[in-house]
Amino acid sequence: MSEIFIDGKRYEFEGKPKLLQFMLDHGLEVPFFCYHPSMSIPANCRQCMVKLGQYQKDRETGEYELDDDGERQIRWFPKMMTSCSTTMSDGMVVQTQETSEEAARAQKDTLEFILINHPLDCPICDQAGECPLQIQTYKYGPEGSRFEVQKVHKPKRVQLGPRVTLDAERCINCTRCVRFADEISKSHQLTIVSRGDKNYPATSPDETFDDPYSLNTVDICPVGALTSTDFRFKARVWEMNQTPSIDITNGKGCSVDFWTRDNLILRITPRHNPEINDYWMPDAGRDAYKLFNENRVSRPDLKLDGDNQTKTSWNNAIQTFAEVLEAHKPEEVLVIGSPHASVEENYILQKFFNVFGVSDTNFVPHIVPDAGDGFLLTDDQAPNTNGCRLLKLQEQSDAVLQQALSSGDYKVVVLLNDDLIGRDVLNSDAFDAPFVISLATNNTATTKASDLVIPITCIAEHAASYVNIDGRIQRSYPAKETKYTNRRLNLEMSEGRLDRFGTNFDNWVTEDNKVDCLPAWEFFSRLADRMGIELEFENSRDILIEINETVPAFKDVTYERIDEEYGVQLPLNQEEVKQA
Amino acid sequence: MAQDWKDYEPVLLPNIPDIHKIDVYMENGGYETIKNVLESDEWTPEKVTNEVKAANLKGRGGAGFNAGLKWSFMPEPDGGPRYLAANGDESEPGTFKDRKIFEYNPHQFIEGALIASYAMTIDVVHVYIRGEYKSWIDMFQKAVDDAYEKGFLGKNIFGSGHSVDMYVTSGAGAYICGEETGMMESLEGKRGYPRTKPPFPAQKGLWGRPTTINNIETLTNVPLIIKNGSDWFKNIGPDDHPGPILYGISGHVNKPGVYELPSGMPIKTLIEEVADGIRGGKKFKALIPGGASTPVLRADMCEGVTMNADSLREAGTLMGTAGMVVMDEDTDMVEVLWRITHFFHHESCGQCTPCREGTGWLEKLLLKIREGRGEVKDLDLLLDLTTQMEGRTICALADAAAWPVRNTINRFRDEFEQRCKKTAHALA
Repeated sequence: MSEIFIDGKRYEFEGKPKLLQFMLDHGLEVPFFCYHPSMSIPANCRQCMVKLGQYQKDRETGEYELDDDGERQIRWFPKMMTSCSTTMSDGMVVQTQETSEEAARAQKDTLEFILINHPLDCPICDQAGECPLQIQTYKYGPEGSRFEVQKVHKPKRVQLGPRVTLDAERCINCTRCVRFADEISKSHQLTIVSRGDKNYPATSPDETFDDPYSLNTVDICPVGALTSTDFRFKARVWEMNQTPSIDITNGKGCSVDFWTRDNLILRITPRHNPEINDYWMPDAGRDAYKLFNENRVSRPDLKLDGDNQTKTSWNNAIQTFAEVLEAHKPEEVLVIGSPHASVEENYILQKFFNVFGVSDTNFVPHIVPDAGDGFLLTDDQAPNTNGCRLLKLQEQSDAVLQQALSSGDYKVVVLLNDDLIGRDVLNSDAFDAPFVISLATNNTATTKASDLVIPITCIAEHAASYVNIDGRIQRSYPAKETKYTNRRLNLEMSEGRLDRFGTNFDNWVTEDNKVDCLPAWEFFSRLADRMGIELEFENSRDILIEINETVPAFKDVTYERIDEEYGVQLPLNQEEVKQA
Repeated sequence: MAQDWKDYEPVLLPNIPDIHKIDVYMENGGYETIKNVLESDEWTPEKVTNEVKAANLKGRGGAGFNAGLKWSFMPEPDGGPRYLAANGDESEPGTFKDRKIFEYNPHQFIEGALIASYAMTIDVVHVYIRGEYKSWIDMFQKAVDDAYEKGFLGKNIFGSGHSVDMYVTSGAGAYICGEETGMMESLEGKRGYPRTKPPFPAQKGLWGRPTTINNIETLTNVPLIIKNGSDWFKNIGPDDHPGPILYGISGHVNKPGVYELPSGMPIKTLIEEVADGIRGGKKFKALIPGGASTPVLRADMCEGVTMNADSLREAGTLMGTAGMVVMDEDTDMVEVLWRITHFFHHESCGQCTPCREGTGWLEKLLLKIREGRGEVKDLDLLLDLTTQMEGRTICALADAAAWPVRNTINRFRDEFEQRCKKTAHALA
């Protein structure tokens, strides 16, 4: 066990950790820009400088040398050292800006240099509010500027690739983006060009930064130099609220945050999860925000004649659903779950129809061969395939399902949120004969072909859990309100500055963005009530408690445990998962 | 020493016509030393290293570190590749000595590199030459080709089993690629960003393998030390910095050029006798003794100072590369300093914040003073900036940019203030 003294306090450590990371891990703050825990350490921003010394030890005895007053002798390094690149050693003495004037001065000096050529455009910069340079300047920077000569001008509004826009003047040349493309996504598409204060990141001539992970560079950019072409100028950071969730566009299920303002998801960013995605996520997953805002099913749809659907009331939808079921025998009902829906939604579907008398709930995995890349993209295009397997839903191939439908045995099809026609599992005429009831979040080819469409909440509107491709269960939180929920009454919902301090009379508030839909469990509880079936769940939390009591794979899994850890690893035994 | 400098027989650039040709070099004992080293059992690698260490051969690239000591930092061979990188990127303004070696005595350098690679059990030598030296790269490549043809380079040299391959690489016009770790990045085909140390090149150098980097002139001295012994070498010039030196004298002198003379020559002798005095009979005003980054000396500070490390340190400057820039009484020090800051601004690689931003700020302030818009407070700001840059970066370029500013302003403060006061007067 070695010891180190930071600002007069003793810490123990083992191995050879880097000083900056050690201090961050222990809640100590030192300003920095270029350092990133998942990438190499270039020590180029020179911001994390500290005063470094070493207690002198006697070479022979290994004991600390003492001076005449019995104090340990310190040998100070002649220069300020960057803590990010300093490997800790036994008996090291560190003074940060908290205890050393020199260290504070060195940090202020570097910040002054960083700021001289940085444009003062925070009021129109997307990064403002979540900008390490802005925050650290407030805390550690000089009061004013002594720079009274011309700033350097560099290219602005450079479209580096389809999704990333560069403002080279804001760049502080930390090289995080270059290192990301070299070390993490390995596309090697970025480099720094030119020299000295004229340098900035760029692609090779005629190359475009179309890396499938390119938007991560926007997240790690410590200033507003790299911005998302899609998101820039859409919202100020402090107007949005941030809600933890999961990427639902593939099987990896990256941990993400949904950023909401006025019940619209405006952007999706990765959330640190060392067990799944570290600090990163694919660009494709960020585009999913549109799914939550646009083309939603709002109010139930009922097909009256031909292909024409019309909006109907919830009472009428429930009544119709009940009547259709009551008019048929359980053997005539085909129930299809969905890898795109949560564990709780699939469970309530399965349970409702078990009670009704249907023994099997089926599902069709959504696999696109060669879509995966061994990193964060997977062949599996659905977030909960393993959840369906662990709940023992019947895994069916496209052909088997198509055949079942064309056999004419099934008069009623109940389908949980899965665009089977859109993703070519079924032909568009497969739904012609039976009465099809879709529970869906978005309008698709499948809902269009359905006789009754029940709008249900999407991942952004409910708390529910999903099991990723590696068997890790994570969960979402409600990020946007529906017609029937209220941010101020739901303690799980986060509140942004506007939500907290705004009123219903503010001009930014609209009711238009609230979708008229219900969580699947609430809908089935109401339907059960109408049909006299015993089934009552008030929320998804209770459903998961029942699942962990009844399904062995989910033993002891609760929302509390998922929240405390980085999700929970479920036993993903192939024998158990693979259906016979 | 000063008296008999005219009798000195040059050994780095000897007065032998056509010595650059391999046949002439061999007729004059060339490649005999390496042959002897490889063939005799007496010359173990350790003995070669110790001989060079004992000679106290100080690196001629500017830092002046004992070359033999540097060699001894190489770890034990582990069967993997190890490299010698010879630095011929001399880009420091006022320095132009290595190109004389490429032109007039390339084989002595090659022989020195061979001895060094034997001493460190190295079989690959990379010679990095600045891109502006196109003609000299061609000349040197010819020498390398000739040496290969004679079997002095390549496999199994003199049947000893020792093999050395030598590769010549051209820079592309960046000063920072003369910094040893920047040079390694450039050799690896990367952007010339200096690396953080540790790890030092001897631990992790080219392609992550043990590497030693020596200056061209340093390696050219090596055959002489092995041939004549370390005592012979130590007897040339003062003890703290012995050996022959290529003085590159430029500026306002009648006969500028590269002169090979013993270390420790009095500055006065070098200017007045060797370079035949100041042009047009003008008065001597200032001297930059070892390339643009070494602190400038006023004429009065040069009294009795000799060109060796200790004497120059006492005078308040550094030996550097012995590229001496001599300035006469008409020289405008504001102009000189602006030109130097312009150079470092242009050449900062931009990796570290203090250097990237500081060099630009320094130049812009000097430009302001030069254009007659300066204020006295700008001088103090300049001095402040030098302390904000010095010792805060990965490599020494920020130091190299800061020292001339600090020392030129401090040593010619009147001249700078005069220029700034004119502005104050004009503004009033």
